[in-house]
Amino acid sequence: MHPATQPLVRLGAGLEIGYGTPLARSEREITLEGGTHFLLARNGRGKTTLLRTLARTLKRVSGEFETRGFTQYLPEELRFDAELPAATLFRTLLPKSRLDEAMDLARRIELDTRKPYGRLSTGNRRKTSLIVAEYSVHSEAANILLLDEPFSGLDAYTREAFETIWHSENSRVLRLVSCHPDYDAMPMPSALVIESGHIVHHASTGQTWSALKTLLN
Amino acid sequence: MRLFRLTFATILRRKSWAVCAFAVVALPFILPEFSMASERPVILQPARIQATWGVLWICALFWGLFTASRQGESNARSGLGEYFLTTGVGAPRQWFQIWLAVLAYIIPLALLAAVMCLGFALPKDSAERTMWWVLNFQYVALFLLAVAPLLGLAIALASRFGGIAGFTLTLGLALYGLYGVGYLDNMLKEGSDPLLHTIWQFSPQYRWADLTQRLYFKLGVLPPPLFWKTAGYFTGILALYAGLSRLIFRTKSVA
Repeated sequence: MHPATQPLVRLGAGLEIGYGTPLARSEREITLEGGTHFLLARNGRGKTTLLRTLARTLKRVSGEFETRGFTQYLPEELRFDAELPAATLFRTLLPKSRLDEAMDLARRIELDTRKPYGRLSTGNRRKTSLIVAEYSVHSEAANILLLDEPFSGLDAYTREAFETIWHSENSRVLRLVSCHPDYDAMPMPSALVIESGHIVHHASTGQTWSALKTLLN
Repeated sequence: MRLFRLTFATILRRKSWAVCAFAVVALPFILPEFSMASERPVILQPARIQATWGVLWICALFWGLFTASRQGESNARSGLGEYFLTTGVGAPRQWFQIWLAVLAYIIPLALLAAVMCLGFALPKDSAERTMWWVLNFQYVALFLLAVAPLLGLAIALASRFGGIAGFTLTLGLALYGLYGVGYLDNMLKEGSDPLLHTIWQFSPQYRWADLTQRLYFKLGVLPPPLFWKTAGYFTGILALYAGLSRLIFRTKSVA
């Protein structure tokens, strides 16, 4: 029996995803538990489709899957009202108990929380969304964060800051992160790869983007 | 209620609500100065009443419906609706929270209008005063019962068809119910056309929620049976629009 505080994503063998017609299929059962898992594929291969399917905002074509945990799907195009500053967003969306932590992270990654959202750069808007998702996590329960291209527009320092958080909160939060890495040494001990219409899980300590990118060609 | 708080904060931040609040408070004093009331003090109070409720209707129908449409559209198009959906806030709850946030601005405006009427146009006669209080309460209740469903419908229509459709359709419906139905009524008095009669029967009679003339001419309170019947009628429309909105509302845009 899986504990209630342990998140889980299970893709059944034969799960097909797509918009009406199959775009990708998992041949074997894939089970993901707490921790960070990367989702890799070339453009248009089904990264967003898989995330939306797991978030249940898109119907699967066929097959079964299972998710356990409080789920948040952060769409790549998510945006807030242009006139709201990040500080107001955090106050309205985050639990009071986590507001100080969120503001502290915002300070560290140089996000101007008083500036209206519409005047923030792409990277700073991304920071805002990520902070909302990260600090909306239920601390006493299992959580699933489905992040669609969270690194686009982020500088290396900010990316590292979030990766540090991800490493420190491993067991109760399952993060499935779609991305296009930009340096070969990026560690990816667990990655779902979609290529040639197949969803395959590659897990190995010491696995990096360098090894995985060859699978995408 | 995270979406409620976010929507409420968004509207608050835009500050256009302050223009409406200012209009409801200030225009009843300013507008009569440009009318015959400036020369005939005896009609100053009726002019003030007309201005107060007239401004409230304009604010609710233009600003209210526009704001509701804008929020409905942006929830669907910004990805927020989809985000909240994945956190377990389903479409009905999202619609309800946005609706509640818009209403949180309309309700105080309606109360402000009533306060203006009670504070600056209260009759001197004690019997009339009691009726004044009751009639203003009746007006606020019917006004909110008429406007609230339109706001909900505007949110739902805008989430599916875009903000312009949400705003214009509900504004058109409101204006038709306030003024168009009256013309239809007159046409029916001149001759009985079964088609027109059917249209009239299924038309929303928003004019029944407009008690300005009753205040203006001091016609006294709505008899309780009539008030409750009218309130019941608008509650029925509320239920109908809520159901329709549930069907129409989308948490994410199709495109």
